[in-house]
Amino acid sequence: MDGKGTDPIMHSEQIEYMQLELKNIIPTPLKYRFLQRNSDVWNKALQFNNGEYVKIKAPSGTGKTTFVHIIYKLRKDYEGNVFYDNKNIALIKADELALLRQQNISIIFQDLRLFPNLTAKENIELNRVLQQPLYESNVIDAMAEQLGIASVLNQKASLCSYGEQQRIAIIRALMQPFNWLLMDEPFSHLDKNNIDKASALIESECKKRNAGFILTDLEDDDHFNYTKFLNL
Amino acid sequence: MLDQLLKKLIRTGTGRSRNTMALAGLFIAMLLMLSAVQVQSNYQQILYSKTSEDSIADFLVINKIITNKNVGEATLSAAEINDLKQQPFVERIGTLTPSNFRVGVQSVSKQIPFYSDFFFESVPDEFLDVNTPDWQWNATSTFIPMIIPNMFLDMYNFGFAQSQHLPQLSQDLIKNLPVQINIQTPAGVVNYYGKVVGFSDRISSVLVPQPFMDWANNKFGTGTANQPSRVIIQTNNASATALAGYLSKHGLSTTTEKTRFEKYRGIINAVVATSWVTGGLMLLFALLVFTLFIQLAIASAREEIALLITLGAAPKQLQQFLRKQFLPANIITVMIALVIVFILQLILQKALALQHIFVNAWLSYYTLAAAVIIMLLLMFVNNSAIKKYIRQNT
Repeated sequence: MDGKGTDPIMHSEQIEYMQLELKNIIPTPLKYRFLQRNSDVWNKALQFNNGEYVKIKAPSGTGKTTFVHIIYKLRKDYEGNVFYDNKNIALIKADELALLRQQNISIIFQDLRLFPNLTAKENIELNRVLQQPLYESNVIDAMAEQLGIASVLNQKASLCSYGEQQRIAIIRALMQPFNWLLMDEPFSHLDKNNIDKASALIESECKKRNAGFILTDLEDDDHFNYTKFLNL
Repeated sequence: MLDQLLKKLIRTGTGRSRNTMALAGLFIAMLLMLSAVQVQSNYQQILYSKTSEDSIADFLVINKIITNKNVGEATLSAAEINDLKQQPFVERIGTLTPSNFRVGVQSVSKQIPFYSDFFFESVPDEFLDVNTPDWQWNATSTFIPMIIPNMFLDMYNFGFAQSQHLPQLSQDLIKNLPVQINIQTPAGVVNYYGKVVGFSDRISSVLVPQPFMDWANNKFGTGTANQPSRVIIQTNNASATALAGYLSKHGLSTTTEKTRFEKYRGIINAVVATSWVTGGLMLLFALLVFTLFIQLAIASAREEIALLITLGAAPKQLQQFLRKQFLPANIITVMIALVIVFILQLILQKALALQHIFVNAWLSYYTLAAAVIIMLLLMFVNNSAIKKYIRQNT
């Protein structure tokens, strides 16, 4: 049951390309406030091609998390449309959405969203076995080692520090197949050294999958070689 | 692996004692309902089976009431028999064929000497309450099997033997006592051996197998064939007023004592109906409680389920997981109930066999079918509860 060997590259049929298209999206509750501002994202037509590294910069309170939640289909209170490969996510059903989240879109939440009663390793393991596993279980240990959280793997997530939890959430997101990785201030509680390690791991995992990402943050940074830069 | 993690997140074991009680309730409900079906099917078997020696189905021997007017011509015409056959309370009808020749019976034993003029009747085998392999006759048979009424033996043992200072006879002894049968023919007396092979409570007549009767009537019969004067019917309800009304209207009579079986039937029907209703109600409550458990488990893991869905768990995966948590206990409970009903049936079969009432040692197909149907019902109710509450949480 534990996947298809240690080959980190997915089976060739899973290397597929997925275009992300936004057509004039704007959250309904914040519509008038956001329309008054000049934004690269809200109420614009945007197209992100597979493998693009997209940085979205925004100060607090301008809707970063709202944006990420809209394209992950956690919110429905918006106008405009979000398309993955020309498929409008407003129209897909629960089981299809689950498949999309298992195979095509992975996410690191700003508020991390770990299960507090599971250990760090169980949190990661859960996202590994939710679908046909991409990696063997030992990849978790290797990544944890790389990010310096190997010692807390068997600790309850609620007992880990926020910085540790953030790295647990990063590894969890990297355990599954994806075409797009959504990251909402993923390094907010990491120091420079740990950010470098984490971004290196993220970049190499994206490369293995030919995947792209969308990262939101408050400030400019040079963690990745972004191919697109947008102000929210 | 996924299941183990889900088990940590969605606790279904809360309220273990309540869960056990609900399962106990389901178990009793199953026991009552499956027993009801099994008892009903045992009853049907006793009622209609041809193998039972003491069938409690209502077999009535019907004849005309002999009055001063019809003495000597109390036979039933073909039209009368046919009319009887049409009645709703008659399930089967058979005629008692009388012998059309003179018979005498004589002992071959010196210890118990006797001689008597005699008569024979025959009846189709399915109306007999005696089931023995000896009950057959063909032209090469060495003896003629006979069935005599139990009443005869009682009369002899408790009346005649005592007053005449003769030995009392057991059923087995009589069965081992061959007799000589003398049939008077125009050409003289022909001798056969006869043997009593059984005792009937149902038909008060000396019975021989139908094939022998047909053969003998044909060979030794004098004059025209006699019209039958008695018929035997199997009825579904001996106490039906329609039956009594019909008999009195047509000047017919039967043994009234037969209605005693109606009492048994009433008791069985009451027991079966009570266990059906009780079992059905308990099943209903058990289903309700299980539905509540499912609702409770899902509600108490509301946040976890929401996060699981957020992370990409499919509702189908969660439903499948929950099914695995709830269904096995239900199915095992039904199975255990089924096994216990089976054991009870074995015990019942043994107990009844001692009284010469034969039922199948195995569970009836109806019981198995009932178990399957209830199991499907449990699955359906569980599944729809799981689906409903998962959908509410996604």
